[in-house]
Order: sequence, then structure tokens, then C-alpha cells
Amino acid sequence: MADLTLDHVSKFFDDDGSKVVAVDDASVTIEDGEFLVLVGPSGCGKSTTLRMIAGLETVSEGQIRLGDDRMDNKPPRDRDIAMVFQSYALYPHMSVRGNMRFGLEESTDMADGEIDSLVEETAEMLGIDDLLGRKPGELSGGQQQRVALGRAIVRDPEVFLMDEPLSNLDAKLRSQMRTELQRLQEDLGVTTVYVTHDQTEAMTMGDRIAILNDGELQQVATPLEAYHRPANRFVAGFIGEPSMNFFQMEVHGDTLADDSFTYSLSPESEDAVSGSEHVTLGIRPEDVELVADGSADHTYETTVDVVEPMGNENAVYLDFGDESRFVATVGGMRRVEAGETVYAHIPEDAVHLFDASSGDALKNRSLESVELAEPEPQA
Amino acid sequence: MSVRDDIADQLGVDLEGFDPIRVVLYGTLVGLVAFYLSPLESGLMTALKTEAEFATSPPFVPPTADGFTLEPFSVAIDTLASAILNSIMLAVPATILSALLGSFAAYGLTNFEWRGQLGVVTLFIAGIFIPYQAVLIPLSRLWAIVNTKELLAPILDITLFSVQVPVLGTVELATHPHYASIINLIITHAAYGIPITTLLFRSYYKKLSTEMLEAARLDGASAFTVYRRIVLPLSTPMFAVTLIYQFTQIWNDLLFALVIIPSGSGPAAVATIALNELTGGIIQTFNTQMAGAFVAALPTLLVYILFGDKFAKGVAGEA
Amino acid sequence: MSLNTLKRLLGRDGSGGSGTGPLPDDIASLRGGIQSAVSSLRESEAVRSAPFWLPPFLLMGFFVYGAIGWNVIISFTDFAGLQLPTYDPTAFDLEMYRRALSDGQFWLATRNTFVLLVSFTGLSLAGGLGLAILVDRGIRFENWFRTIYLLPFSLSFVVTAVFWRWMYNFDSGVINVFLRGIGLDFLASKWLAGGVELGALSAIPLVPETLQFKLFAVIFALLWQFSGYAMVVYLAGLRAIPDDQYEAARVDGASTVRMYRRVILPQLRASTVSAAVVLMVFALKAFDFLYVMFGNNPGPTADILSTMMYRQAFAANEWAYGSAIAVVLFLVALAVVAPYLYGEYRRGEL
Repeated sequence: MADLTLDHVSKFFDDDGSKVVAVDDASVTIEDGEFLVLVGPSGCGKSTTLRMIAGLETVSEGQIRLGDDRMDNKPPRDRDIAMVFQSYALYPHMSVRGNMRFGLEESTDMADGEIDSLVEETAEMLGIDDLLGRKPGELSGGQQQRVALGRAIVRDPEVFLMDEPLSNLDAKLRSQMRTELQRLQEDLGVTTVYVTHDQTEAMTMGDRIAILNDGELQQVATPLEAYHRPANRFVAGFIGEPSMNFFQMEVHGDTLADDSFTYSLSPESEDAVSGSEHVTLGIRPEDVELVADGSADHTYETTVDVVEPMGNENAVYLDFGDESRFVATVGGMRRVEAGETVYAHIPEDAVHLFDASSGDALKNRSLESVELAEPEPQA
Repeated sequence: MSVRDDIADQLGVDLEGFDPIRVVLYGTLVGLVAFYLSPLESGLMTALKTEAEFATSPPFVPPTADGFTLEPFSVAIDTLASAILNSIMLAVPATILSALLGSFAAYGLTNFEWRGQLGVVTLFIAGIFIPYQAVLIPLSRLWAIVNTKELLAPILDITLFSVQVPVLGTVELATHPHYASIINLIITHAAYGIPITTLLFRSYYKKLSTEMLEAARLDGASAFTVYRRIVLPLSTPMFAVTLIYQFTQIWNDLLFALVIIPSGSGPAAVATIALNELTGGIIQTFNTQMAGAFVAALPTLLVYILFGDKFAKGVAGEA
Repeated sequence: MSLNTLKRLLGRDGSGGSGTGPLPDDIASLRGGIQSAVSSLRESEAVRSAPFWLPPFLLMGFFVYGAIGWNVIISFTDFAGLQLPTYDPTAFDLEMYRRALSDGQFWLATRNTFVLLVSFTGLSLAGGLGLAILVDRGIRFENWFRTIYLLPFSLSFVVTAVFWRWMYNFDSGVINVFLRGIGLDFLASKWLAGGVELGALSAIPLVPETLQFKLFAVIFALLWQFSGYAMVVYLAGLRAIPDDQYEAARVDGASTVRMYRRVILPQLRASTVSAAVVLMVFALKAFDFLYVMFGNNPGPTADILSTMMYRQAFAANEWAYGSAIAVVLFLVALAVVAPYLYGEYRRGEL
């Protein structure tokens, strides 16, 4: 067992003579037994990264190591990895047993009986032991999913690679499998790299998440750290649902201003923005408070545009009286009507400030009221 | 299907209710059936008639009791039997060989990604459309230069081609000069069949899941193992299509046989050549000619009637 | 350098694999370089796929492209009779092509080839489309009708020719017997030998005084054999059109005829192109049929380039001349196929 290290890994494609950068200088160390989620919008390079680890794509620059062993120049079969695909990629002409046996037959010298007992053991663990004789075509989506998992688990690899393995399941089954997969990974203790575009999956499953955009690694952090201490505007906007509200502001000394409102800064925040002329002010919807009157600091008169009730909470779309809208989430029992005038409080300790041009975080929210699960240094 | 059913409803699929459009439609369809079957029907009727009968009665009318005879068929079978055996010895291996090679090529050109691949694919596909006249003279030169009989004598002379035939005893087929011609024809047909079989398999392999093949690779399978354990078992339906199509093409060929089999006749003649010689005589024995046509066409007709749907898929170029 | 050193340099012995060994940096990186070069070569997709496509490619390439090249070379020589060709580049010339250009037979064969190509392809497409639309009208026993219409396609040219020679027989062939039977005696003709006077039209170059039926008899028989093929291709095209479109056209109030003309036919372009290319190729290969019907000399009104090539080469032993005609035939085929293949390539459908 060992750490999986991506050391300044880049991937270039040649598109009719012009160089396209799919992954740009990504470095991250995934610790032994860790569950790392690679998350980002489609086309961000997360699947390419995973495929480079698998050996299905060559590495253009940099190294991939397992412990001290360089593995980027090894063929896939020598890398001691197993992969679960989005489409499950089961062999349709083989039974479930055949599917699970295949990898062991091809990559080990195990005796038939040994393979069989391993397959049966794994199938039992996944609750698919009664399906061993069936063909994939006779299974439901969820069962195929388990077979795909079983096929990876039975090989007992150093690293699991999972490429959006849950995205073909319906919503209910997906959340069920999410928990199960997590538990399984914990039990097996196998280093796992999991790719998804779904930030909910990333938040709920990963020990750490690595956020990618445009081929560049934005941040590697625990889910809560990424949520509360985003490294930049992209991460802040990508993680969290509904997304963080952003306002483009001009810096005027100790005040930020845009066409709709001004926001006064504490000395500490003023320090943080002193180097920038334009900043982006971010506030998470759940941090916006709807209050009775507009007398307090950082409280603004707004009109309720639309209310989206979700049961446990309401998403309230607010309007400064011009085009700029933002969202607040309030408790589900709170009654707010469209057209109503309300006062929105944007508390300073919950505000994030980003440089408008680079997007880098200048100041993240204060965490006095939040407990972080052992924050880790960024790789 | 619902829409076509609607249209059918509108046109009155119910035959009991009088619907002029529907009547015309079925009338046309049946008339066309008569057109497409008439050469075969009148050919069959003629083949069952005596010479006196077919000269005097309309060709599509069944023979009278007096004019009925099976002699044309027995003459045709006698004349064509050895040629048909040759055609089988030619068509079966050539078909299997070209299907296998096409499957190999299609796998190598579809389920891998590399630069310049499309250029190679284009060369393969363009090979389908070559008019064979453009290669005939080199072919005849080639098979005049290469002495297949001598080359293969050490392997084939003794065992493979000697068979026990009742009455005649042991027949050393290998000592017949014609086996070399048949082998030349097999190689030729296999080579010229590769483009179309590659195209057919490629259209099928394009639809195989890339992730599945990658999964097999990650499971430790080599490119060859992936082919043997995954791709080959999954191509069974396409093999059926390709084998049927190629068998028909090779069985039906006349041109290569004319050029490659020396003097175009003798013991090496294949069915098409023998049929042409049977019908090329000066005496117009149409009954024997028709019987011969049926005998020579029987294998492909059988294949077509038994596996018509697969044949249709092959000719439409789909899997 | 001992084998073991080499092994260690290539990192194959396992013990040297840790990368933190005592090797100096430059050797270590050299080792990595060699290792990755070797393995990336071994793992490159082109190399991994070559065992599969290369042998068939070599076999096919030799027989197809090698033979075509050989044929072109022969066409530059004076290869004739029993004397073997001399492949002497200094003696290569275009004499055989000049001979073709001044050969009346060659021009007649070229004309007939184009007449056959165009009318056979056009008629087969029209016939096939008609059949496809009829069969696609939600009829009963669809499979039976389809099977019968495609049946002739499974026959060889040889068998087709044998049947149709009997069909066209003047005294007792089906066509004349049928025409006489329905009182159209005057239409009964010598289909394989007769013709009609063209009168004033024959003033046009290459138009003969009498229009012989021969070539059209050939085209009609081939139509019988191949229209079923066009039908199958068109049926596949029709079935690929989503049902919604029939429905939408209905809702828009289009009549059946208008629906086909405005909505369905334009979408059959791809089917038309692929069927047309294949039919043209069959037309260029129609040699077998003519050979069985007429022997190696079908006469000036039905001679096509492929029969002429065979006659010149294999009957008259004018090998070089036959090669030159074969090159012309190949170029005709290329002119038909190249635009098609290029179009497929552009649309990424190869």
C-alpha cells in the first residue's frame, strides 16, 4: 500500500496542428486509503486525469507514482489498478461470474478454484451472489452497477478508479449507492480516485476533493474547507447548491460599491482588498438573512421576485429594484410572498472577497461559528 | 410503428371493406411478384419438360403428363457435379478466410486510435470498388509465375487430399493438377473479399463500447486476448452476415475463374464455368440449360431462403 | 555492458525499480527515458493494432493496389502474344493509349459503358425506390414481398443470363409468348438481335442508324436482378426516418404524395448516393452477364469496356492493349467512387 502521486502532470492533445491543453500541470498526492473526488464541469480534464492514471491516455509531461514506483510509463495491466466505468462496461456475452473472473484470469496465475472462491466471496459482500449465473442484459441498472464494482473489488488492486459510476442510476438509487460505496471503500481501505461532475457527490463522498477547471487544478481540500474556504471564485461558485451569490464591486477605500448598493468594510477586510480596484463580493444564500427592518449595518431593502419552496427551505430570489438579483435561502416554514418588500442582511463575517481579475480569494468568511474537520494544507 | 399503422388505417388495411387504393396497392405488389418470379417459374417449368414439350407449350405453363421428365435435371447434375464440388472446395475456405481477415483488420482499424488510421481505412474501402478488369492481366501473370502445385506439394501431396471413394478406391486428389488452381482462386477471392468484409465488420465494431474494451485492457487482457475473448464472441451475428454475403459472391463469380483456371475448363472448372459451358452449346436444349441454372444456383438460393434477413442486412451494409 | 547491467538500466529486475537507488541522476533519468520510450512504443496504439490490420492489409494491398500498379506498367509495354513482357522503363510509351483513342471499337465500348452505367443505375434506383415505398406502406406479408423482390440479387450473373436468354427467345421465350398472348404480336421482337430504325436521329455522332435492343435487353435483365438491392437500401433509409415526421406531415395536412416528395425523399439522399455507387460498380462488373449471353464479343451495340478488355487480352492476346483499356475502366470507376469516398471522409463516416 502506498500513496498515489501526480507530479506536475500535463496532457496535451493535438487538434489539427494546434496544441490543446487538457490537463495543465496538476500535482496532488492521494494518501494510502484515501477517497479523493475529482470534480469539475464537463470538459475540465477530470476524466483525462483519471485515464492517465489508468494508463488509457499517455502522460505528456510529469510523472505519476505509486509510492516510489513510477507508473506512467507502464502499460495499464501492470499498474495494479481497477476501474469502474460510467456505462459499467460489462462484457455482455459473459455471465456475472465470467465478468468477475475475467480480470483475475488475465492478470494473475490463480487456480480456477481460488478465483471462484474469491468471486463468490466478493459477490456475497455486494449481495449479488444469487446473480452469478445471469448475463448483464438480464440485470437492472443497479445490479449491473454492483457487478461493475464487484469486478473491480475482486481484483484487490492498489487503487480504484471510478469514472462517474453512479450517474446512470436514478436519483434514489444513486443516493443509496453513494452511502454504500463510501462504506465499502472505508471497509476495504483501498485508495480511490472518483470522478464526478456532481458537487453533491463530491461533498458527501470524498475525504478530500480536487476541483478542476479548464485543465487546471483549482483546489485540493476537504469538502468543508472547499465550501467555507474556497481558494478562488470558481471553487466558491462551483461548490454549494444553490450557488454563492456574487456581486462585482468597485473598491473605494473602506467601502465597496456597485450600481445597486454599497458595502462598508471592516479594517481587516479593507486590508485584504487594498491591492485591488475591483473585487467580487460573495455570499452564500444561507448566510443572507431576511430581517424585519433596515436599520442595521449591511442591511438592504429588496423586493421578492420569485420564491421556490423546497419543503425544508425556500429559495428566495431578491431584487435590488434593478436587474441585479440574488438568492437567499430561508427556513421552509417562513412565509415570503413574491412582490413583498423585505430587508436582506449580508453579514460581514460570512462574506467572501475575490480579486475581480484573478478570481483569487482575498478574504474568506470567518469561521468562528463553524467547526472544520481537520483542515489540511493544500497540496 | 404507430404512425405507419395510422397510415395503414387510413388506407384501409381491412381488406373486407372495399378500398380502391388498397386494392391497387396489393394488385401492384402481386403483379411485381409475378415479374420477379417469372424467369424462375418459367425456367423451372421448362426444366421439367421434354424437348418436344418446351418447344410447343408456353414456357410458364406446367408440363403435361406426357411432356414431364426429370431427365434435364439428371443430365445437369451429372455434368455439374464435379464443378459444384470444386465450387464448394473454393467457396467455403475462401469465405471463412476473407471473413476472418476482415474481422482482424476491422478490429485493428476501429478499436485502436492512431494517426494515419483513416488513410489506411480509405485504402481498404476503396478496394471494394475496384473493377476487376484492372487486375486481371497481373493476376493471370502472377498465377503463371507462382507454381502453387510445386510450392504446396510437400504439404498437400500425401495426406490432406487423398480420400477414400467407394467403388474408385483411394483417390489422390493432390495428384490432380487442378487443386493448385483452386488454391490460387481461394487466395485470390480471400484477398479481394477483405475490403468488403472489413467494411462490414468495421460498421459493427464501431458500435462496440469503448469503455468495455478499455475495461478488458485494465483487467490485464492483451490486444489479442481482447479480440479472442471479447470482440470475437460478440461478432457472431456479423460473422453470419459476412459469411453469407461472401459465400454468395464467391460462388457466383465467373471472371476470376475464367482467368485463373487454365483454359477455363477441365477438372478444375467451378460451377459458373461449367454452367456456361453447358449452356454455350450450339443445340438449344433449354430444358437442360434451365435445370443446370437451378442446380448451379441451388446453394446460394438455399442460403438466401434460409438466411434472407441476414443477407439483406449485409447488402444494405448494416449490422 | 553485461546483460544484468542492461537489465538494471532498463529497470526490469525489480530491485532497481524504486527510483531512489544509488544511480546518479543523469543515468536514472536516462534509464527513465529509455524505459518510457520502449514502453510507449510497445504500448502505442499503432503498434498494438498492427498485428491485426497489417497482414490483411498486405495481402489485400498486394492483390488490389500492387496488381493495379502492375497493370499500369504492362499498359506501357508492348506485351502481346506468347512473348513475355519486357519491363524496360526506357521502352515504356503511351502507344496503347493512342491506339485506343483511334480505335472505333473503343469509343463504341466507352459509349455503351456510359449508357449502361447511367440508365441501369437510374432505372434501378427509381425501381428500388418505388418498391421500397410500396413495401413500406404497412402491408401484410411484408417479409414475403421483400424476400421475393430481393431474390434475383442472390443469383449469379451467369444464372441470370441463362434465364434471360430463354426469356428473350424469339419463338418461345416468355416475353414474346406473353405479348402474343395479349394480342400485341407486333411488339414481339428479336430482343437480342433486332432493333428499330432511328432515321434522322442517326445524323448525331455515335448514334447508330438502327437502335439495337441488345443493350436495353441487358439493362432490363440487370434491372430485374438489382432493383431489389436498391429497395433494401431505400427501405433501411425509410425506416431510419422517425415516425414523428410522418405524423407531423399528416398533422400539417400533407397528402401522401406531397409527404413523400417534400418530407421523405429529401432525407433519402444518403441512401441514394450509397446505392448509386454500388450499382455503378456492379454495372462496371457486368462482364459475367454479357459474357454468358453473347460470348466474348457482344458486338458493337452491346460491347462495353470490360468485355472489350477481356477479349483483347485473353482472346486476342493483346495483353498491353487490354491493360490500357483496363486502366481507362479503372479511371471511370475512380471518377465514380472518389467523390463518394471523399464525401464520406468529410462527414467522418469512413
